[in-house]
Formats: sequence, C-alpha cells, structure tokens
Amino acid sequence: MTETEEKTGPPVTLIDPIDMTKLDANFRRDISSMPNGEELSACFACSTCTAACPIANQWNYKPHQLIRMILLGMRDEVLSSKEIWECLTCFQCQERCPQNVRVTDIFFDCKNLAAEEGYVPENIIALAKSLVEKGQLYEIINDWEREDLGLEPEVPGLSIEGIQSILKGTRTHKLVEGDE
Amino acid sequence: MPVYSLYMGCSVPANYPNYEAAMFKVAEALGMELNYLEDVACCGSPNLRSIDSFGWLLVNARTIAIAEKSGHDIVTPCNGCFGSLKDVLYHLKHHKDDLKKINVELEKMGLEFKGTINVRHIIEAMYTDIGIKEIKSKVTKPLDGVGIAIHYGCHLLRPVDVTEFKPEVLQEMVYATGATVIDYPLWKQCCGATVLPVNEQLAIRLARDKLKSMKESGAVFITVVCPACGNQLDLQQLGLKDSYGEVYDLPVLLYPQILALAMGMDEEDIGLSMNRVPADPILDHLSG
Amino acid sequence: MIIYPVEVILVVTGPVLVIGAGVAGMTAAVELADNDVKTILIDRKTTIGGNALELYKAFPTDDCFYCFEGNRWRPGIRKCFYRSAMIDQPNIDLKISTRVKGISGTPGTFLVNLEVGPQYVDPRKCTLCGLCTDASEAFHLVSPQCQPQAVSYNPERADDGAKKAEEDCPTGAINLSATQTEETITVSDIVIATGYHEMKPSTIDEYGYGKLPNVITQLELAQMLDPNGESSGALLRPSDGAQVKSVMMIQCVGSRDENYYPFCSKICCVFALKHASIISKERNNSRVSVVYMDIRTYDRHERYYRETRDAGVEFVRGRVSRVEAHKDGTLDVYVYDSLLNKYLKFVVDLLVLSSALEPPEASNELISSLGLNSASGYVGSADPLSENEVVAGDHVYACGGALGPAEVPESVNQARAVVSKILQGRK
Repeated sequence: MTETEEKTGPPVTLIDPIDMTKLDANFRRDISSMPNGEELSACFACSTCTAACPIANQWNYKPHQLIRMILLGMRDEVLSSKEIWECLTCFQCQERCPQNVRVTDIFFDCKNLAAEEGYVPENIIALAKSLVEKGQLYEIINDWEREDLGLEPEVPGLSIEGIQSILKGTRTHKLVEGDE
Repeated sequence: MPVYSLYMGCSVPANYPNYEAAMFKVAEALGMELNYLEDVACCGSPNLRSIDSFGWLLVNARTIAIAEKSGHDIVTPCNGCFGSLKDVLYHLKHHKDDLKKINVELEKMGLEFKGTINVRHIIEAMYTDIGIKEIKSKVTKPLDGVGIAIHYGCHLLRPVDVTEFKPEVLQEMVYATGATVIDYPLWKQCCGATVLPVNEQLAIRLARDKLKSMKESGAVFITVVCPACGNQLDLQQLGLKDSYGEVYDLPVLLYPQILALAMGMDEEDIGLSMNRVPADPILDHLSG
Repeated sequence: MIIYPVEVILVVTGPVLVIGAGVAGMTAAVELADNDVKTILIDRKTTIGGNALELYKAFPTDDCFYCFEGNRWRPGIRKCFYRSAMIDQPNIDLKISTRVKGISGTPGTFLVNLEVGPQYVDPRKCTLCGLCTDASEAFHLVSPQCQPQAVSYNPERADDGAKKAEEDCPTGAINLSATQTEETITVSDIVIATGYHEMKPSTIDEYGYGKLPNVITQLELAQMLDPNGESSGALLRPSDGAQVKSVMMIQCVGSRDENYYPFCSKICCVFALKHASIISKERNNSRVSVVYMDIRTYDRHERYYRETRDAGVEFVRGRVSRVEAHKDGTLDVYVYDSLLNKYLKFVVDLLVLSSALEPPEASNELISSLGLNSASGYVGSADPLSENEVVAGDHVYACGGALGPAEVPESVNQARAVVSKILQGRK
C-alpha cells in the first residue's frame, strides 16, 4: 500500500485498493460447486476457524481470510498461496465452524485447483513422484527389522501396479511428467 | 472369531514393523483374525488428495472394492490410511455423481464399489468387537497407574461425521491396561507430521508445543495409534535435544505395544527396542 | 353479601386517544374498540399505515404488512382485516390529517386540542373512479391498499384540472375550499404510537447522500422494490433510469454513533438483508454487497442472514473510506475490509444506506407536554426498571416505534399490552 519507491513514474497513491472488477467472480462458484463447497457461502466470517488453527499465527492469510478471498474472487492469491499447502489437515477449523463450512476440505479443493494451474511445492511433487514410480510413499529400508519380528520382508499386500496404472490417467502423472 | 481384512498401508510396514508385530500378537490373543488385503495400493494420503482428488478417490475406492469381495470390514493401524479410506467411503456415499464416475473406472478393473463394508481403525475394532471386559481379563501385568498422554491423531478424530471415532474409545483402552490417562491442554493439536514436506521448522514447533504440554501435565509416556504421528513425536524429541538441548524423555509407544506389555508379552516380540526414545521407564511400572 | 364501594365501579370510562395509525396504533385501536372502548385514532397523514405502508414486504412473514399472520383469527374478514375494521368498527373514530396541538387536564380526564387538516376529499364518498387523478397531478392514490380508500390531494400542485375535477367528481367527494379546523376532546387515556422516522443521512459527508442521486436509504429502496411503485418494482438508477446491476448496502449509518444516535436501530440489519435477498433472488443479475460492522439479526431472524448468504450476497466487514461518482452514473466505493485488512474498490450502481431510525418530530413535544421520560428522544417507560415497558405515565401509554425501533410483531405485542393495561384499569 505504500510502494512509494517505484523506480519509474511518480509514487502510487497511498491507498491502493484491490479492484473488485479485476477479481474472478467465478472463483466462488468454482469452489462452491465442488463437492465440499456446498456450505461455502454460509461463512459469516466469525473467524472461529482461525481461532481453532494451531498455525494460523504464522500465516499471512489466516483461514477466515482465505475463505473471504475465495468469496471475493481472489483466485490467483489463494491458489498461489503457501498457506493452503501448509494446512495441517487437522480439521480443527472444520470441526468448530458454526456454519458447517468444510474449511479443511475446501482447502483440499483449492490445492487441487492450484495443482491444475501448476502451483505445487517441489516437495509435494517429489512425493507424487514416489507414488508414481514406487507405488508407495514410504519404502522399507531395514527389512531385517521386519524379519526379526517374524514379518514378511515386503510391504504386505501392496500392489505397486495398482496405483501406478490408476495415476497414469490422472493429474498426478501430468504433474510428475511436467516436472521432468 | 471376528474376521477382518487388514489394510497395512506403507508407513507401518516401512517405519513401524514393531507396531505391526505388536498388533498381530495382541489380535491373536484377543481372538481376532486379521487377513492381509492383497493387491491393494498405497492410499496416497493426504498428499494425493491435495493434488489429485480423483486419483485419490479411485485408488482408495479400488481398495474398498477389493475388500468388499470378502465381505469383511477393513481394519487398519494407520490414521492416514484410516482417514483416506474413511473419507472416500463417506464421499462416495454422499456424492452419487462421483460414485458413478468411479465405478466406470473400477469396472475396467473388474471391480465395483458397492458400499457394503465399513472401514475401521484396528483399535476401535478391538474395543467394539472384543470389549473392554474381555481385554481387561487378558491383562496380567497391569501398568500400575502410570500417566499416559494419548495423542489420538487428527485423522482418527476429525471430521467426526467421516471418522465416527470417539476419543473415549482410546481412553478406555488405555485404562484397561491399568494405566492412567493424563489430561493435557493440547490434546487435540496436530503433531505436525503433515507439514514436514513443506515447512520443517513449523513441524518441529508443533511437536514441541505438544510434547511440552504433555510433559507439563505429568505424562510419563505417550501412546499413539498412527505411524506418522508416532514417528513425528518420537523423532522430533531427538531433534529438539540436539538443536535446543531440550529433553522431554517421553517414550512414544504404539497402543498395541502397551497392551502387549500389560498382557505379559515379551518386549522383544513387540520390538520395544526399535522405539527411538528408550522405553525403559515403562517397564518399571509393570506389576505382577 | 359484600357490597363493593361505588368508586370501584365508577372507574374511568371515557374514550381513549390513540396518536398514530401505524401498526401499533391500529392494533391498539381495533382491540380497544372490540372491547367496547370508544377510541379516537388520529394520524397526521391522509392515509393510515405509517412506515409499514412503505415497506413493500414486512418481515418476518414477508407479507404485505396488512396481512401479517397474527390477525387471521378475526372472523369473516380473512387477512386484510384493517381495511374494513378501521372504517366499519363503530367504536373507532378515525381522524386523518390530524395532529395534537396541545394537552391539558389531568390523568383520566385529559383535554386534547386537535388540529384537523383540511378534508379535501371525503373518503366516505370517494369511489376511486380515477377521474380526478386523470385530470390533475394534485390528486394521487397513495397506495392501492391505502386506508381510508380515497385519493389524496396536494394543494401545492393545485391547477385548473383540479378545479375541474372538483366540479366533475361524480360523487361530489372533493371540496378544494376545505380549511383547517380545531377541536378539543376529552379522553381518559392517551396511547402514543407515533412510530419512528428514518434519518435522512445528508450530514454524513462520506456517503454523499443528498448530493449523489444514486445514494439512497433503505426505505427509499423499499419503495423502488414495491411492484406498485413508479418503476413497477424494477430496480433502476435514480440518476438516469438505467438498470441497476450492482448494489451496495451500508449498515449502521448514523446508528451506534455518538455523533448521531448512540443506539442500535435494531431492525435495519433484518430489513437490509430482506432487501438484499429480494434483489438477488428476484431482480436478475443484480449483485449485492453489504458493508457492516456487526450483523445483528437477533433471535430467529438469523435465517435472513443465512438465506442472503446462500443467495450469494457478499458481506464485507468494514467501513467505507469514500464514495466517488462517475459521469456514467456509477459510483466507486472504497471500503476497508477489516477481516482481510485490505482496501477494496467496488463499482456500484446504487448505494443504499441503512440509516438510523430516529424519533419522529412529534415525539419531543408529546414527551415534554405530558412530562414523560425520554429515551434518546423516544418515549421512555415511566419506570424503566419495571416490566411495564408500555406504561409511559399515569393513563399514558406507548407502543411500537414510539418506544424505539421495533418490528411488526413486537409493535403488535406492545399494542396488545397497552390494551390489556387499559382494560385492567377499567374492571
């Protein structure tokens, strides 16, 4: 708001508001038409979600603000935010929401939209890669430990091809491919 | 004898074979038949759900559809798997459009999601199907009132309309071993495991707050029912010791390990030495 | 057998004066009349109904206010009972265009001096044939539901057509040479039902009301939305008649503000949301934003808040920085969003101010001439600590908006409480 040190041209005005006409009014509809977005519009911004969130104090955009940003149509800001990826998915916000807004689930939907538009943190891509290539998130490294305990050395019942063939046809594959 | 389809996931076998071993020992003693589900895929939770909700639905719908063939409920020892499978079950029961799409894909694999079985956490199956009375009757070396802090894990408790899990279940299971449940202010708080890939510092601080709250409330050790939570609370104690010189000395035991000890089982059989924070203080509390 | 002293029977039986024929006053008058109490009902306007007449749809039933649910019991008249009750009930003496000029006497025998405005049109003769309204702009029908069912005459617009209409009126109902008269009546009790008045917020600089034609108040909006209104209910920009595509409402304009009225006007949240809901559901393609400090949809009215959110109305917690008008009629509204901690710029066609509900002009004079308590300019209870909210003084009562901003059901309840008090005093 006080970006007076621009190198070219005169300083910008002191109040540099968000121009509502430039926001994406459809963003709200996009999210509310997703399976978890049914109650999105019920939000009355009481900020219970932020009160319930253990890490919101570390965030530039608090959970209730993210929901407001969705309602206002701030698509790019929400989808490119680091906050949605730091969501612990602990569901405390969702549990306490007095209007039954599925806050955590909505953040999952936001992450999916973000993934569609290519905003995914590297480490998450790496995990996706591990799913596509190895069919699992965690691999057995110390198989002797399992044998000591009388367990079979491999992950029991795991079908690597099962997940690989499925993910071949979905967004995950595109994300991993695009990364290479 | 109740029979279950056991979904292991990848985290327990890879990181907590002792959890797996203890679970089998206890289940056997309680007369539960656990059959590994074969040919099932990793649940991908929660990362897959974040980037590819359809892929996530399909992978887990496939697992449930495979289990439906045997007709037995799925049980799992991992909150991540539990949360994923339970969420997908809930989702497909509430969103008919997605169910149709999923079944089109499953048909190609010769499968169909019908919604005929439930997904349950192994602890809840023990509690409901075997019962506290029966479990208590098997306890030969009660835990002598030692204070245990329970970390339930978020995906076990919430959202409750999806997980259908009540905290009292685990509390009663802990009391059944002769131990005491310690109330601590941050009992609902996340351990921080999920944020590890994107912000490690944040993950450490979450674990620290949690451990501090437990310690200050008088806990002697911690019990968990999730490999990710267990790993986080166990591992970060080492990290906090190295980085900040903070010592919590709170052994982290998977619940079946505690029950196994109370049932008089050998600590070797449940891999107690694999827990990172040494579990020695617990052994002092075993009576009989 | 005990014989009671005479004084118990000889309690006051004189007529009751009800000042103001809005929802509260009409209810009090009808219910007193039904209990055989002679009632004089006066209103300063030519048509009764008060503010409610201009609400289009009144909450909580969203009916035209004449029809609110609680009165359906009245036999034979179905819903719109006031229409005939006001005229046909022999115990009611309705005086329109009438105001109180002075009050003297003592409680129980008040002498009230009334100033009765010129009765240009005799409502008993007027048949609403339309001859006069066609002939001159001085005549108009306030509302198809107006009571009494007669046209009104505005002498400021007098023209030759009006004179001709007077001659041609088929029932001879028009008398343009009518003059103001005075009369003094004796009444035992006075019921103050003078209602509220919506503040014209022209002194609150930042909104531009009174300067910018597309800045209006909620009651003005209600009249725009009324299908019987000028635009037949279409939402058009006052500046140029263009279709309104986006509306912004501002709550707490002059209310909860020590510079204007310190109290919460109580019902503006609900009626703003009612309007927001009507606009977004029934006026296609119109987007509505509501800028608020707190939304106070008390009690069951919470449903309006929920429904308007469901209807897609946008809520912004914060305040307006400034309003700028463009030549094309649109307004740039700069709003500080306190939840987001950001400034937002909206472009709207219509800015609707939920302006404070203030005591009507008559309120102060009545309070001082009867020696009543004042509650921020409204009639205060005689004993604020008692549960007798409607008792303003000895033989003096108040109900509805006269006590402060009130919704329709509350006004009705208070009116009934007044009736109950008066009847108890006569047993």
